[in-house]
Amino acid sequence: MEWRHRNLLDIQDLTAAEIEFVLQTALPMKDLLTRPLKKLPTLRGKSMALMFYENSTRTRTSFETAAKILGADVTIFSVAQSSVNKGESLYDTAKTLQAMKIDLVVIRHAGSGAAAFLAQQLKAGVINGGDGEHAHPTQALLDFFTLKEKLGGLAGKKIVIVGDILHSRVARSNVLGLKKLGAEVVLVGPPTLLPPEMGYLGVKTSYDLDRELPGADAVMALRLQLERQARGLFPSVREYHRLYGLTKERLGKTVKETIVLHPGPINRGVEIASDLADSACSVIEEQVTNGVAVRMALIYLMMGGGSSRVVD
Amino acid sequence: MLWIKNAHLLDPVNRISGRGSLLVRGGRIVKVVVGEELTAAAVLALLGCSDLAEVSVVDGAGKYLFPGLIDAHVHLREPGQEEKEEIKSGARAAARGGFTSILAMANTRPVIDTRALVEYVRLQGERAGKARVYPVAAVTKGLAGQELTEMVDLKAGGAVAFSDDGKGIQSAEVMRLALEYAKLTGCPVISHCEDENLAGAGVIRKGETSARLGLRGIPASAESVMVARDALLAKETGGRLHLAHISTKESVRVIRAAKEAGIDLTAEVNPHHLIFADEDVPLTGTSYKVNPPLPSREDQAALLEGLLDGTIDLLATDHAPHTWEEKAKPFAEAPFGINGLETALAAVWQELVAKGKLKPERLIELWAVNPARRFGLPGGTLAEGALADLVLFDPEWREVVTAETRESKSHNTPFLGKELQGFPVMVWVGGKLVVKDRKVLP
Repeated sequence: MEWRHRNLLDIQDLTAAEIEFVLQTALPMKDLLTRPLKKLPTLRGKSMALMFYENSTRTRTSFETAAKILGADVTIFSVAQSSVNKGESLYDTAKTLQAMKIDLVVIRHAGSGAAAFLAQQLKAGVINGGDGEHAHPTQALLDFFTLKEKLGGLAGKKIVIVGDILHSRVARSNVLGLKKLGAEVVLVGPPTLLPPEMGYLGVKTSYDLDRELPGADAVMALRLQLERQARGLFPSVREYHRLYGLTKERLGKTVKETIVLHPGPINRGVEIASDLADSACSVIEEQVTNGVAVRMALIYLMMGGGSSRVVD
Repeated sequence: MLWIKNAHLLDPVNRISGRGSLLVRGGRIVKVVVGEELTAAAVLALLGCSDLAEVSVVDGAGKYLFPGLIDAHVHLREPGQEEKEEIKSGARAAARGGFTSILAMANTRPVIDTRALVEYVRLQGERAGKARVYPVAAVTKGLAGQELTEMVDLKAGGAVAFSDDGKGIQSAEVMRLALEYAKLTGCPVISHCEDENLAGAGVIRKGETSARLGLRGIPASAESVMVARDALLAKETGGRLHLAHISTKESVRVIRAAKEAGIDLTAEVNPHHLIFADEDVPLTGTSYKVNPPLPSREDQAALLEGLLDGTIDLLATDHAPHTWEEKAKPFAEAPFGINGLETALAAVWQELVAKGKLKPERLIELWAVNPARRFGLPGGTLAEGALADLVLFDPEWREVVTAETRESKSHNTPFLGKELQGFPVMVWVGGKLVVKDRKVLP
């Protein structure tokens, strides 16, 4: 398959076949990660910029590791160190990156649409590393990789996503992709975090986790931003955990072997009980490893698979 | 002196509709004749003049001649934010868009809350010498929503209405007092209905589109609960209330009921709320970012119904210029506002009038007659003796909206780069020609 995308802004932009192609490409990448010498010359001479306007050790490090293993040069612009703090607009930052002839840019930004905005300004490719509450396509891809690896495939599998659906770019990108891959998705959360308009995703929504668990092949817990309590979106961590927190006992209701995913970082004892997070059902650490592999695959494909395409 | 002939004259107040002639002398309309051709001799006699060379003769064949439109909701940004718009550029843009009078909102820097500032706005409008500029003064000092302004003095300086537009008055008690005190002036209080608690950090209407784009939603109730509050306060106080930029079906329902109850209130709708819906908003389309946010299709249907059945009284642009730099940002960071003066009439004509949804007569009522009445302004009529504020409108004129041809200092419109059909080709203010062949005269 020829890779035809200059950017990856939203999982919605990929066909099922393209998603599968990325996941296939990630398989040998994951093998590479287990080698004693983790360095390839494939992308030597290519340059990549990571622009992180939101704190994210996990995603940033994952992209950085992926790019370095493939031999690309990586520049990290983090808000604390760059001229962004001096009031430079995203537009001007984009112009600067353009002038530096960078080949690929990863952006993480609190504003929905920031990645699309940057892509409009740049000739370089743009990977959306998470924009506001809109999309997080690489997280979705690594989740698909993990699910496929553990469940053998996705078609017909029941995936329950539980938590703050309204504010979650992870949930949005996962649902859109999982639908393409033929999985059955159920969204669960309290009405304040799962309002009727989330029906746009076209999957089942429910306020009752216990009722949705039977038959689930995988349960994905979302991180609960604790400051949402101050906005009145949920009354207490105690009640949230009682209704939507994952525990070993509750997971038993699936009546089958079920894996637990979480995009991290986890709030132990809030969306997931500590002992469950560290149990054999949990694939949370595996997700991190797979994140590097999937991002390697994506960077490799977007850089032209080692071709000599030049950004001018 | 001026003789406009062969145009389709339109004036719903005086029930004028038909091909005819209109004569102007001394800045006023002296004669309107429909259904018969005037001879040059007759024109000279009517104008009391001996030589046709002293009369400008305009052939309006194929065009409409309206009373100049009056836009009750314009942000001119001067003083303080002249990079976005100035009174002069705004008054020129207004004229080019077919408006011979505009009401300039008070949310400038500083806020128009003292008589000196009201007079400044009025005088700058006079200096510009294009569309008439009527100042709207603030309801509360500094738009802080707490202490009332010196409304009587502000009116003496030229204010025609009071509004904290740009911000809703959050305190019901302050709004109640404003409606009471403004009775001293006879001027309406214009309410920007927005409950800040409900609106929160929203940037687009709450619904499936906000969910899909991952943008914070503003619920329809953020507007409609305040519409209901203000209608009840107007009833209780007997004050005169005008509701700016109504955008929800619930608001329309409340206004309809309030009018049935005999409450003294009027309401306006902005063209962009009739033409674009939330589902049309692209994720990077900050020119569609406006407050109140673009509504649902259902809301649009209710707004149009309200325009037709008299629930809604006015069309108004809510012309809100912003610079390119401010809008060239991710959606949540860009300011709210659509630049409307130069495109609004064309857009409404193309999307509503040409499609048979709105009669030209009703358009004139909504955009000239009713604003003149509500705010006590001259204009809005072709009556003999009235000011010659006139628009010659060509329904066939097609034009691509480009930054180069525009008079406004900003170009934050979803129509930029797009073609519209139906534009004013000539505009007169007090009998003086200000726009000719789509160009504003120096």
